[in-house]
Amino acid sequence: MSQIEAKQGPSATSIIGMIVFGAILMVAGFWAYTNGSFKAVEGPLADQGIPLAFGKTIASFGVLLILFKVLHIFFFAPLDEAITNRTKELEHTFGEAESLRSEMTQLKSDYEKRLTETEANAREQIQAQIKEAQDLKKELMADAQRKAEEYKQQAIAEIESEKRKALTDLRVHVTNLSLQATEKLLTENVDNDRNRRIIDDFLATVEVKN
Amino acid sequence: MLEQAPLALGLAAFGCAIGLGLIGFGAMNGMARQPEAISKLQIAMLIALAFVELVFLLTVFIGVPGLR
Amino acid sequence: MEFLSNLTWLIAAGEAHGKGEGGKQAAHALEMSGLMFYVGLVALIIFGAAAVAKSGLNSKFFTKPLTKLFEQLYVFIQGLAIGTIGPHGRKYMSILFSLWLVVFVSNVIALFFPTSPTADLSFNLALAFIAVGYVQWEGIRANGVWGHFSHFAGPKLPIYLLPITLMIFIIEIISEVMKNVSLSLRLYGNIEGGHRAADAMNVLGQDLLIPFGAFLLPIKLLTCVVQALIFCLLFAVYLSLVTHHDHEEGHDHESHGEAAPAH
Repeated sequence: MSQIEAKQGPSATSIIGMIVFGAILMVAGFWAYTNGSFKAVEGPLADQGIPLAFGKTIASFGVLLILFKVLHIFFFAPLDEAITNRTKELEHTFGEAESLRSEMTQLKSDYEKRLTETEANAREQIQAQIKEAQDLKKELMADAQRKAEEYKQQAIAEIESEKRKALTDLRVHVTNLSLQATEKLLTENVDNDRNRRIIDDFLATVEVKN
Repeated sequence: MLEQAPLALGLAAFGCAIGLGLIGFGAMNGMARQPEAISKLQIAMLIALAFVELVFLLTVFIGVPGLR
Repeated sequence: MEFLSNLTWLIAAGEAHGKGEGGKQAAHALEMSGLMFYVGLVALIIFGAAAVAKSGLNSKFFTKPLTKLFEQLYVFIQGLAIGTIGPHGRKYMSILFSLWLVVFVSNVIALFFPTSPTADLSFNLALAFIAVGYVQWEGIRANGVWGHFSHFAGPKLPIYLLPITLMIFIIEIISEVMKNVSLSLRLYGNIEGGHRAADAMNVLGQDLLIPFGAFLLPIKLLTCVVQALIFCLLFAVYLSLVTHHDHEEGHDHESHGEAAPAH
């Protein structure tokens, strides 16, 4: 039997040898067919309903040998090469895309990590700020309350002292008025101090009654 | 012989049909169970179909001369 | 189309059958010149398609429809080869694809012309010889002459079991020969059987002038595809049987490694 393909690069001799061999087989098949060389075998087979002519088989064998060889050189080798090249290129592209994608994933994860870090930081800071503000607020409020209390106390004390002063003034004034009145009434120089004490006492009793 | 030959062919076809049906049945079952193995099952199924068919063809080639 | 030619051809053939010209009953078989015409037609179609497809080849992206079609076929047959033979199946793409193309184009020609090369048993036998011969050649190349023929003798048995080894050897040789017969007969039977079935159904509709046989066209088309596929598939299986052993260890480990995560 003969082979169809040469694996690594069909050499010219093998191609020509194959074609010559196929042509010889073709001629031999024609010769056998026309001369009926296989009649002894074909007759009984034909009686069995098997239409076999070995001459045709041999000729077809030769034709197919040539056909397959030429087809391989003419079409399948280029097709195979093209598809292999394309597959390689595709694999290359896919590999590149894969590496790019992994890089991108890396970057994305980095970015996300940083983002979460920043977020946590910011939240912490905000919390701290809020706490500080709350403390400040509490302090301020306490301060304000204290001050208000102070002012209130002060005001009360002032009011009290003013009241007392006014009362004292009033009392002095009343005393003076009474003394003047009494002076005018009595037209008599009385010891002012003693009289004043008497009137004071009197007024004190009046005050108590009031 | 002449009268029996068509009947014999019919019997051969009957058996062949049963065989083909069994193969198809098994392959379909397998495909339904494991859809991911469909390509392998198909190849195996086709090979089995070819062999069953060959038996029928052989029968025909041996039996047809009886028809004439 | 086919059924018209079938109709006329059928009548002539039927008459020839009836007369039984001198014991040569196989009236359907082509003469040598007719076979060569059809083989030439097949070659012409294949080369025409290949030439158109070849002009669209480049290393980036195939835009021509025929190139795309051939690419798809290539990928399909490559999947078949790798699935059947194993990872080293790509080596055999050329012969597999050639066989597929020749068988398929011949089968399809049978739908448009009265007959086709694959409807001739002699041509199919030549195809089978090519396939089985290539398998032998590959086996010899992979295992050496002695290794290839000792492969036929089955497992290594002690010397006193020589008769059994001899018997296995003879049976294996017979099975190798039967591979030829089965490959060619299967193809011939399917294509020629389709023709005969169409003829028989044409006879049914002859009086009504209804070509019933033409209604078989879809199933015949299916047969065309499936038979081409089966031819290649069996060729690949035979190849895998012969070239399996020396690659077994490495590739098995590989395939197990790949298959393990899937389960």
